[in-house]
Amino acid sequence: MLTERDIVSRVQHVTVTRLRVWVRQGWIRPAAKEVQGFSEADMARAALIRDLEDKLGFDEDQVPVLLNLIDQIHGLRAELKTMLDALDDLPEEVRATVKMRITKRKPKSRR
Amino acid sequence: MADDLYSTLGVARTAKAEDIVKAYRKLAKKLHPDLNPGDKAAEDKFKQVTAAYDILGDAEKRRRYDAGEIDASGQERPQQRYYREYAGGEDGARYRSTAGYEDLGGFSDLFGDLFGRGGGARGGAGGQRFAMRGQDAQYRLEIDFLEAVNGAKKRITLPDGGTLDVTIPAGVDEGQVMRLKGKGMPGVGGAEPGDALVEILVKPHPVFKREGDDIVVEVPITFDEAVLGGKVEVPTITGKVFATVPPGTNTGKTLRLKGRGIKRKNGKLGDELVKLTVVMPDRIDDDLKAFAEEWRDKHRYDPRRKLREQA
Repeated sequence: MLTERDIVSRVQHVTVTRLRVWVRQGWIRPAAKEVQGFSEADMARAALIRDLEDKLGFDEDQVPVLLNLIDQIHGLRAELKTMLDALDDLPEEVRATVKMRITKRKPKSRR
Repeated sequence: MADDLYSTLGVARTAKAEDIVKAYRKLAKKLHPDLNPGDKAAEDKFKQVTAAYDILGDAEKRRRYDAGEIDASGQERPQQRYYREYAGGEDGARYRSTAGYEDLGGFSDLFGDLFGRGGGARGGAGGQRFAMRGQDAQYRLEIDFLEAVNGAKKRITLPDGGTLDVTIPAGVDEGQVMRLKGKGMPGVGGAEPGDALVEILVKPHPVFKREGDDIVVEVPITFDEAVLGGKVEVPTITGKVFATVPPGTNTGKTLRLKGRGIKRKNGKLGDELVKLTVVMPDRIDDDLKAFAEEWRDKHRYDPRRKLREQA
């Protein structure tokens, strides 16, 4: 588990004040609830928020919108991966059939 | 910690290698601890300048510093681990959201409910998945006495217009509650539905009464049947039978008809208890009056002797 200090010292330009604001906003939800303990993912998320605000120049009220969309994309990706993993377990001819059906349904305009 | 090595040495970022050497030597000469005994500040400054030169004076290290791969102290600067590297993994699962596509359920009958909050192998929406068994639903069902005794199929009409088919097993008793698994309220989040609890109410029967697994019937008999005995037609739950009334039967005499009662769970049958009541004719005619008077004079008997003695 990482502490506030760990995050601040490892993620440049993140101060304790900034980090606490992000946690209070719910943008970062420390992996360990009781003692505030951050995980590697929490730290990477802090770096992401910093980049959004500092490098990319988004306002504070735009950040939650972006985070929400990013979280949804990762949620969707995880579900998609689960589905593809499940499809991979199917017999060869079933997979071929599925692939054919999907290809047929894909909009022509794509790509 | 030195902020920027170039400013520490007082050179431009674009300085040539020989300019860096020159700048360093000039500073070093001024700051070297041996040339400045007792000057702590100079020593510190010297260390900073030397550290800066250690990096900027070395072509490879300078390149890495410029590229941000190492920091001003020469430490490997950890490359930023981007959030996307974690987002797909276990650690990132807390943040993944599936809240936005619950409507996928409308796209596929079979697979739709796999996604979103309801299903899915892994939790979305902050890892919170909510599932709760449906509530039990309570119903009351009034059935006829013979339906309770013999079993029946009944249909309950629910408040929402739906129906519930209930198979009443033979021998069900008043107040008994039947549990119909999964017929209650639907579960939430893929959990199983609740049960329907049907409490059985049994309408009283004009003739039959129930005592445990036995059926009790009151059967009136005539004066002459009481005296002479004979076969008497008796109703049972499975139809009429003839019971034998012994000669000299009094009111209150009970006949037990084996196996004419209610079917027990173990397959055995209860009995029917026939309570006999001697009933005089509606009108006592002269014949009967004359016979009773004549009979009384010759056959006096005392049914109340015990009563007198014990009172």
